[in-house]
Amino acid sequence: MNGALGMAGIALGLAASLLGAFTLVLAAVQRRPRLMRSGVLYVWLVLGGAVLAVVAMERALITRDFSLAYVAEVGSTRTPALYNVASLWSSLDGSILLWTFILALYVVATRLWFRARLTDPLVTWALVVLLVIAAFFFLLLAGPANPFSRVSGAVPTDGPGPNPLLQNHPLMVVHPPMLYLGYVGFSVPFAFAIGGLITGRVGEGWLLDTRRWTLFAWGFLSVGIVLGAWWSYEVLGWGGVWGWDPVENASLLPWLTGTAFIHSVLVQERRGMLRVWNLSLLAATFCLTILGTFLTRSGVLESVHAFSDGPIGVYLLTFFALAAGTSIALIGWRGDRLRSPGTIDSPLSREAAFLANSALLALFAFVVLLGTVFPLVVEALQDRRLSVGRPFFDRMTTPLGLALLTLMAIAPVLPWRKASTELLRTRLFWPACFGVACLVIPVLMGAEGVAPLLAFGLGGFAAGSAVRQLVLATRRQGVRGLLGRANGGMIVHLGIIVIAVALAAQSSYQRAGEFRLSPGETATFGGHRFTLVEQVTEETDAVRAIKARIRIDDGVVHAPARQQFLARGDIIPTPSVRTGLTEDIYLTLVKPATADDPTVTFGVRLMPLSLWLWIGGSLVAAGTVLAAFPGRGRRRPTDPVSAPVPSAAATPPSDRPSDDPADDSDLVGVPRLGSADV
Amino acid sequence: MSEVLEQADPPAADEPRPRRVAPIVAIAVAIVVGLFVAVAAVVKGGDKDTAETPLLGQPAPVVETTTIDGSPFDLASRRGSWVVLNFFSTWCRPCVEEHPELVRFANGQASQLGGAELYSVIFNDDPGEVERFFAEQGGDWPKLVDPDGRVQVAFGVAKSPETWIIDPDGVVRARVISAVSADTLGGLLAELQAGVPPGP
Amino acid sequence: MSETVQTRRTRRWAGSSVAWLVLGLVAVVALALGAARSSEARTPEERIDAIAKTLKCPVCPGESLYESRNNVSVNLKAEIARQVRAGQTDDEIRAGIVTRYGDSVLLVPRAQGVDAIVWVLPVVVLVASVAALVVVFRRWRREGATAAPTEADRALVADALAAEPREGTT
Repeated sequence: MNGALGMAGIALGLAASLLGAFTLVLAAVQRRPRLMRSGVLYVWLVLGGAVLAVVAMERALITRDFSLAYVAEVGSTRTPALYNVASLWSSLDGSILLWTFILALYVVATRLWFRARLTDPLVTWALVVLLVIAAFFFLLLAGPANPFSRVSGAVPTDGPGPNPLLQNHPLMVVHPPMLYLGYVGFSVPFAFAIGGLITGRVGEGWLLDTRRWTLFAWGFLSVGIVLGAWWSYEVLGWGGVWGWDPVENASLLPWLTGTAFIHSVLVQERRGMLRVWNLSLLAATFCLTILGTFLTRSGVLESVHAFSDGPIGVYLLTFFALAAGTSIALIGWRGDRLRSPGTIDSPLSREAAFLANSALLALFAFVVLLGTVFPLVVEALQDRRLSVGRPFFDRMTTPLGLALLTLMAIAPVLPWRKASTELLRTRLFWPACFGVACLVIPVLMGAEGVAPLLAFGLGGFAAGSAVRQLVLATRRQGVRGLLGRANGGMIVHLGIIVIAVALAAQSSYQRAGEFRLSPGETATFGGHRFTLVEQVTEETDAVRAIKARIRIDDGVVHAPARQQFLARGDIIPTPSVRTGLTEDIYLTLVKPATADDPTVTFGVRLMPLSLWLWIGGSLVAAGTVLAAFPGRGRRRPTDPVSAPVPSAAATPPSDRPSDDPADDSDLVGVPRLGSADV
Repeated sequence: MSEVLEQADPPAADEPRPRRVAPIVAIAVAIVVGLFVAVAAVVKGGDKDTAETPLLGQPAPVVETTTIDGSPFDLASRRGSWVVLNFFSTWCRPCVEEHPELVRFANGQASQLGGAELYSVIFNDDPGEVERFFAEQGGDWPKLVDPDGRVQVAFGVAKSPETWIIDPDGVVRARVISAVSADTLGGLLAELQAGVPPGP
Repeated sequence: MSETVQTRRTRRWAGSSVAWLVLGLVAVVALALGAARSSEARTPEERIDAIAKTLKCPVCPGESLYESRNNVSVNLKAEIARQVRAGQTDDEIRAGIVTRYGDSVLLVPRAQGVDAIVWVLPVVVLVASVAALVVVFRRWRREGATAAPTEADRALVADALAAEPREGTT
């Protein structure tokens, strides 16, 4: 029953998306507004199909319907309810189902958001693109990634449950949906970009319409990535947050190009420049999401996040080629007509800073992509296996990261068009002082290593710059100085800086030790005392855990464990973390006591500033939300800079900003004359 | 004023000569992407363990350890006979399935003149467990302990089961990385003893 | 009165070249200290860890020897420890393990042959993009210089500004 329901949903979705795409193409090409309106009804059917499939699968999982191969693979009578529901996305087929569902939601949301403009060919073509993407994913579900295929042979009475690493932490429930909301969300601006290219209308209009979508998707992708790092940290046992694993890189690549896009789009907004570059970035972001999915699901690269392989790789690769080919062809065809006559006058200007930012982020993405696919290329050409691991990525991306921090420090104080060094010297002085302080204090405390110290110093510099902007804005507008694109952006910058500094501290200054104790003995390490209290074995229906209870500093007891998931038999190490403001104490159970040997071997890692990684992530999320608010009294960004602001008449002239023409948090109608009015 | 921005879009008739950069860059990018897609289509993922080792044809590494019951063992002292080393663990299913075949092989060799000597190297396992396994399943050849993994590292063994054949001069002659049967192992040994180089 | 003079003086000093120079000197000294500290001779444990970070666990996907707790990794780390104490160089130790366990355990691509492409290509791209940016900026500067506003342009702008009702300050 569940299988039939699910297949019906998939069939409905596939048919509806194909028919809808076809109808809307017809409508757009023949310019038939009535057909455009009626063609749009198909999106509801698409959503209906997706909902039906998801409901059917969840029902199968909850009722433990083992007649379905997917449930037999990841379901179990012993898995707790929450993880059982979340096991929808714990394996390949289900994850594609989740993707399709979120895509269907986005398609419907697009239709609703633009309901006033359904007869606009641009919107029609955008919907066509979205429906084509949806059709592809429904095709995957109907074919190689079918989650509703029946079990071959007898119906089992129980299953092994999801991979144990996926069911011992609640973050597992949240991380994939967040990530997918981000990934899939980039399809919408991409669809509008393609629509714009096809219709030839690539002025600033489409850009503004989709700005909030891009920010929304980017925000969720950022949160998804941080949650993934957090989950890695809590679950995987070696205290790392990022391993440059192909799956992690797959999520980072679109984030990098997406970040480049949301910055350089501001140049397009203000000066009408860099249109082709922005379109390319957007196309690249979408294509990278598909490429990332291919790399992680086709089995061509080995990874900690192993998904199964199969014929799905061919489909995904073909779709990637299609998406990339279409984008390249369209941009090549229209590109020259798009180029604006504007110029960037000076390398010391906000436009130039955004351009440099784009270049750096694009190079960053290139390095990560190269490192990830290089083993593939070498294997194809020379038939030998080669690994590109952390040392490569760290060494290559550290200088880029430091350069980006520097840019984050300088760019916010740069005005548009042109700046003088005098201006920079004045505005950046106190941030620079703060940066140097952040550099000197760790050195005085005994820190070493050029790269982390540079990270601290440049991070302090950039933080000072961001805080300066926020202070100026709040001085002028009070609490509303925290709202709006520029101010929210500064808070996001602060979050990124905090993450960068915490990463530098955590990776360069962590200390590790291993101790073998009998119950009652104490070891000291790094200024802390670790006393082994006892070893206990706890058993529930699903899990048998051997825990070593260790008291830290005569205080709380932490219990790193080795858990055996009875349905599958795997034994996984489960670390225990004591979080602190300045450092985390990370405990792992290496060798439990046995009948012959009553000593317990456990590992201790002291990780400085780990908590700040998550604080930084929250800042990024908060800043994104704040940035989505409109600032006070904005004029439309397509208006010229000298146009009056609607509420500008209400504020008396003396409150008008006079010392920071570069700040555009409320876009007051002061004529921009470059550096002349400092 | 906002029309000014939009007017920049369509190519004006009086524009001198729009540089045809876009198609060229597009073609270049398309070529790179196309090459990448071709590469990705050709590659086959998955495990590709190979039995190649730099030790083939070289003197075997030093193996100085003890057997389970504590008597010392030195590979160099076994010169003069063919030695078969099998890396074994009780927790690895192919090893367990291979075990009866090894018993057959050992019996076969014992009944021959100049038969090979079979030794099991305990691979990341508890000697007690191994002893219990052999007591239940049979097999009376010596089992060598490898407490800190020196032997496995010396040979470059990452997974069990693995079987190595060393000739009377102490030179490594063969490495098998899958489970063996008595016939394949016996056949391989016979070929080596006859001086015929083993097939591909 | 003297207060405003004082604050003005501080402000003038704050952005001055002298102040920046002082900041720069302090930063360089601090960095040099940090660099000097990290280049001191490494303990054997640090050497072992450093080598372990460049080699991959042969059995578990995606973890380096340093991170992995697998038996094989533990044994390999013990071997590395033995060789470090025996006085082998980092490269010798790495090479020994790589030849025996295969190329894929090396996490750092070599600097010769095809492998070196992965190190060289990003640098090439960086240089190329910097060059491209320089070229583009020069062209823009030239275009900007030749597109100076004419009298007719100024008149046009003056008319437009005069026509629109202005609220507030100039």
